[in-house]
Amino acid sequence: MEAADLLALLDQQQFRRLRVIENLLRERKTVSTLYWGQRYHLLYLVGLAKKLPRGALDAPARELQQRGFITVGETPDQIRLSPAGQAAQAQTRYYQPQTQATWSQLDLMAARQRILLAVQVVSQYAHSTKRYYPLTTDLETRQAVRRWFYQVKSARLSEQTFVSLQKSLEQLPEATASVVTALFTGYQQPGLTAEQLAREQQRTPWEITLMQLDGVMQIAGDAQAEDQPLTRLLRSVWRSPVTRSAQQTLAAMGQGRSLEQIAAARRIKPSTAREHLLEAAILLPRDQFPYDWILTPTMRQEFANVLTGPIDDWQYTAMPQALQDRYAFFYFRLYAIWCDKRGVEDA
Amino acid sequence: MLEPLTTSLEKVFGFNTFRSGQAAALTALEAGQDTLAVLPTGAGKTLIYQLYGYRHPGCVLIISPLLSLMNDQVNRMHMAGFRRAAAINSLTSYSERQEILRHLGDYQFLFMSPEMLAQPQMLAQIKQLQLGLLVIDEAHCIVQWGPDFRPEYLLLGAIRSQLQQPLTLMLTATAGQTTRQEIAKQLRSQPQIVAESVDRPNIFLDVEHVENEPEKQERLTQLVGQMQGPGVVYFSSKQQATDTALSLQQQTGARVAAYHAGLSSEDRFKIQQQFMADQLDVICATSAFGMGIDKNDVRYVIHYHLPADFESYAQEIGRAGRDGQQSIAILLYASGDEQLPLMLGQANRPEAETIHRYYARPQAFSEEDAAIALLAFYRRHGISEAAVIQLFSRRERERNRALAQMLAYVREPHCLRHNWLQAFDEQSPEHQADCCAPAGMSPDLAQLGLLAKAKTAPVDSVDDWRARLHRLF
Ligand SMILES: [Zn+2]
Repeated sequence: MEAADLLALLDQQQFRRLRVIENLLRERKTVSTLYWGQRYHLLYLVGLAKKLPRGALDAPARELQQRGFITVGETPDQIRLSPAGQAAQAQTRYYQPQTQATWSQLDLMAARQRILLAVQVVSQYAHSTKRYYPLTTDLETRQAVRRWFYQVKSARLSEQTFVSLQKSLEQLPEATASVVTALFTGYQQPGLTAEQLAREQQRTPWEITLMQLDGVMQIAGDAQAEDQPLTRLLRSVWRSPVTRSAQQTLAAMGQGRSLEQIAAARRIKPSTAREHLLEAAILLPRDQFPYDWILTPTMRQEFANVLTGPIDDWQYTAMPQALQDRYAFFYFRLYAIWCDKRGVEDA
Repeated sequence: MLEPLTTSLEKVFGFNTFRSGQAAALTALEAGQDTLAVLPTGAGKTLIYQLYGYRHPGCVLIISPLLSLMNDQVNRMHMAGFRRAAAINSLTSYSERQEILRHLGDYQFLFMSPEMLAQPQMLAQIKQLQLGLLVIDEAHCIVQWGPDFRPEYLLLGAIRSQLQQPLTLMLTATAGQTTRQEIAKQLRSQPQIVAESVDRPNIFLDVEHVENEPEKQERLTQLVGQMQGPGVVYFSSKQQATDTALSLQQQTGARVAAYHAGLSSEDRFKIQQQFMADQLDVICATSAFGMGIDKNDVRYVIHYHLPADFESYAQEIGRAGRDGQQSIAILLYASGDEQLPLMLGQANRPEAETIHRYYARPQAFSEEDAAIALLAFYRRHGISEAAVIQLFSRRERERNRALAQMLAYVREPHCLRHNWLQAFDEQSPEHQADCCAPAGMSPDLAQLGLLAKAKTAPVDSVDDWRARLHRLF
């Protein structure tokens, strides 16, 4: 990631923590990281750069600071845009992913690998090439594509694949469709690297990746919506954004038990059960989480009385001691998530 | 009774005749003789063990030092129609490794890194296999001493004994008498030697001295601008390869890309394929580039940095002119360039004093330091302090000798080819005008027919995506 990529992730009002952004990208999903990811509207970044080294954003941040684009908050880790930074951000036509709202429902990286290899395989098949260098991918992708190919192989496969890919890409901006297509590898087309495309399009390689992911999401979404060759290949890469164990805790909640009962039944610590619930609350739409069972009307009223102003400024330890004694941090955090999801304006 | 070798060759590869060295190596192996095949790059060394594997039962185990390129090798096996091939190294994911191990007995060809084979559990698994042939690829790595030095190669002799001395094929592109003897000694084998000359008469040799770094950049830009591609420029650093690729593209208009082990496998794949499909004119590469590239019409290889030894230099320039057409190998040298290979060599070489202190109290040292990790490796494998000190000083002598040889080449006043071939204990033909241009003489690029004929087409650009998509299918 370069300075320009980080610039696009910052805000002029809200201080954002560099480490949170880094942990989202690296898929270090602690409740705190997820909560702030939600507050920053950056949850779509989860797991997009799993191999990003720790501290990889420090250099881009330093560069932004040297150019006077950011100001630093209470700790050096918290940054927000300066007026100059805001102007710079407004001036660049940085790519805004179109489909990011649904990224968390798909294992995007796996889908990307599968689509790339499938396109190559079908393209070579369409040109009756028997021997070619396949893209180097992990074993799981290779096996999935191989199984899929033997299932769908037919005289009309390449035509059908072409038609559905074209239809999907037409839903996206022209520039995105171009990038996604140029990154494909196939018969007599090695494909361009993200680096090469970035230079040609005068964007950063990271932007090129975002454009490609838009394409992947669009293709996968369309393949799910109607039956076409890629449908079978991509069926198994859809997933819940919530981890399996958190899903189980949430399901147990649905049976009307208290937190302590659930923890005992699932043989986990109550604190773990609370983390599971917070994770689910953050990652699921509001109507898929039983807020009403946990946040009683009294509780909400009591919180509403003391918690005013921007959500980001709320502090558990700043609440009256009596309220802290009555309600654990868990309820405070869940209330904030509920307000955030209701779109309560940060007054 | 086995069918004749040529019949198998015809069946598997569709060729009528062997290239020189292939048949001799196969005949020696089939007579039960360990074989050291010293065959130039592009001579088809892979075919020897492919055909052996085809004709004989048992697994062919190939030990290869180049992690990032091992998957390319497996792909090449698949391309050649050998489906039962797999690679295991430290880059192989856990689940993939488990999957391969479950079916270990089913593979006809297994590629493995030396450090993977050195692990006791892995070795135990391999002992269970019926090994038809053990192949040591890039066998010169046993004696080379550079940043890519792999201590595990030194264990191969012991491992080979543990595997009950299987029939062994040692492969290398370049090895003089000393290197050959050292390889045989390390592997505890008395191999039959099958060697072809390293000389490539169609590669013109050129050494150019420049004053300093900016002048070197300038000369490189000039050469790339003038010469007929495709070409490869070798660097010792990834960063410099990347930066120079960008500046060459901007200044010469040629289509240039960088290639090094730091790229993702997808990018490496694409750049290799672009180069093969003539969509690139120049590759700025580190030594990671080369294997897996079957490009016959590379017209020039330029070395921006001084290689550490003649073996690597011969390997790298050997990628030029495989089609037999006139090509050129240019070495750019500024005084002091020898410092870089010296530094790279010293980077993980511990002092005798450190070795002594380490052996006295190993637990007091952190293995995060590369030099200490190397010592820990030796110690764990039961090599004594005295032996390690001796090993390092011998290595250092060899390295200095190798570098001195490179420098002698750079300063050779009369005939570069003579100097080069002498290093490999070979006779050279009489020097002629189309042979070489030592420092101070310039090659006549026009006379050699190496000047660019026409401006190349622009970089493959993002045209109409619908048309592009349609071409794919
Ligand atoms: Zn000469």
